[in-house]
Amino acid sequence: MIGYALRRLGFGAVVMFLVTVFVFMIMRLVPGDAVSLQLQDTGVSKAEADAMRAEFGLDDPVWVQLWTWLGDAVQGDLGTSFYSGESVVDLFLARIPVTVQLGLMAMMLGAVLGLVVGVVAAATRGSMVDGAMRLFAVAFLSVPNFVVALLVLTGLAIWFAWSPPIVYTGPAEDFTSWAQQIAIPVIALGTGGMASVARLTRSSMLESLGSDYIRTVRAKGVRERVVIAKHALRNSTIAVLTLLGLELATVLGGTVIIERMFSLPGTGQLIYQAVLDRDYPVVVACTIFYAGLFVITIILIDLLYALVDPRIRSGKALS
Amino acid sequence: MTQKPTLTDEAPAVRSAPKPPRPPRRLGVRQVLTALRTFVRSQPLGAAALLLICFFVFVAVFAPLVAPYDPVQQFRRDILEPPSGTYLFGTDDLGRDVLSRTIYGAQTSLLIGVVTTGVSLVLGTAIGVVSGYFGRALDVVVQRVMDSVQAIPGIVLLLFIAVILGPSVRNTIIALTVVITPSFNRIARAETLRVRQEPYVEAARATGAHAPRILALHVLPNLLASVLTLGSLIFAGVIIAESALSFLGIGAPPPTPSWGLMLSEGVRYVERAPWLIIVPSIALSIAVFSFNLLGDALRDHLDPRLQRRALDRVTGLWWGRRMLSRLAPSLSRAADKN
Repeated sequence: MIGYALRRLGFGAVVMFLVTVFVFMIMRLVPGDAVSLQLQDTGVSKAEADAMRAEFGLDDPVWVQLWTWLGDAVQGDLGTSFYSGESVVDLFLARIPVTVQLGLMAMMLGAVLGLVVGVVAAATRGSMVDGAMRLFAVAFLSVPNFVVALLVLTGLAIWFAWSPPIVYTGPAEDFTSWAQQIAIPVIALGTGGMASVARLTRSSMLESLGSDYIRTVRAKGVRERVVIAKHALRNSTIAVLTLLGLELATVLGGTVIIERMFSLPGTGQLIYQAVLDRDYPVVVACTIFYAGLFVITIILIDLLYALVDPRIRSGKALS
Repeated sequence: MTQKPTLTDEAPAVRSAPKPPRPPRRLGVRQVLTALRTFVRSQPLGAAALLLICFFVFVAVFAPLVAPYDPVQQFRRDILEPPSGTYLFGTDDLGRDVLSRTIYGAQTSLLIGVVTTGVSLVLGTAIGVVSGYFGRALDVVVQRVMDSVQAIPGIVLLLFIAVILGPSVRNTIIALTVVITPSFNRIARAETLRVRQEPYVEAARATGAHAPRILALHVLPNLLASVLTLGSLIFAGVIIAESALSFLGIGAPPPTPSWGLMLSEGVRYVERAPWLIIVPSIALSIAVFSFNLLGDALRDHLDPRLQRRALDRVTGLWWGRRMLSRLAPSLSRAADKN
């Protein structure tokens, strides 16, 4: 088990290194850097621009920049923003709470609703309820999260002439205002997750409901409600947990567009602005942070699987 | 000498008579029609989706004939007109006809969808098949690179590439292709690993067939079903991604009629002109919905449950992952690393 875990971690490190190389390569290979973008209308002489590049270390070859960055990153220094001059770590820490709140609430909403819908659909398999719920699930998978947000906004604006407050306030300062502002983003991000959780729950519930041990439980005379809630559902949790882990990536990706729409000061907003400004240190740090989060989730899921299924540990089941 | 044949004599002889060697399958109009008919029979919902897609394609291709107005023509006197007989779905803040823009938006979506899905399907499948079939160092290197591309959340990578290249239809296609190719690679590689161990591939190898021949004749046809199914689901994802990019203002540049762009332009007039939001939203959702539904139906149709069960028993971990890759291909990206 430990060997397996170490192998997974090694794999994660390799992928993270490649992500870093990849990000550096794309950024430096394309024309137009931060300095020329920043100075394009100011008429600064070429010598001064070069001096600025030297200050930021942009005139070094790519691999030197990569090496310097890696060296600093290991020591917990992710560089300073070209624009605000703040340390990237600080910028990041200031914005993480918003994204975490948003992401967690959206995932919880999706998980709870999805489980309920999935279980009901599986329990009433083949009925009208089941059909309607399946259709609903595909429909919700098909409406992109920003469209959900837009439609909710439109509906509220037309029928109640209401729109969320524009300036973000933390939950500690003004709870009502915060709740009003974050409700639509949470719903928008949660529905997609809900649909996929519902579908997975349904299919894996059906799988376990058809299995021998459920027949035994039924034969024992256990009530149907208990069969479903206790025996069948428990067997589906792993699959659902896996999906939720992977859902994290989607939710995080979704925050980029949703945070921008609702002007929430989270990491999604940060990365969007940084990419537009070509604020290299921030872009690199954000991308690597997102990728790192994703890789860690994957490794955790892998370990979870290995914990459950000994065949995977030996590496025989994978090929 | 005619003897009345008894049941025991005749029946087994007929049933177990060796079939004549099948002529090589040719893909003619008739075969396609037959395949279509069985699909429609077994998957009525999928057939409905196919119909919707045909409608979508028709509208997009014949946009100039279908649309009542030029999508970029500005009727300066009719700004933010509500839906009426003249403008079926109203006009936007520049006096452009919303219906016409929506119809031309289908064209943009379709163009980007077809090119992106097509290119990344071919590219990703080729990479996956070669990498999976030959294995060894090549496989390790190629898969680690693909993993690292997939480790970056799609939208971040898209943002990154789209901004660096600049907003245009062509660059949107390039960005999306980079993001999507690894998905096809993954499924093609996984299927290749499975097919490679089948007896018929071994037999082909034993008879001395060269790798290209085996790949083309035995491997590719067997993974087509999975790849096409994924293709349909990916197509839906591409439509969403395209509109998300243009919504953020880094996809197709204005005046290009694109659904995402229309939505971002409409946000400002939510109260005064809700049709600016509702019409493109519905068009976008229906297009995505029909591709998702088709993908679903294809999956059920091409890959009967029985086969899947047998396969799952062999590969333990595969199960959860496989399920995921079917339900949400974009989410289960990092599966099958070894």
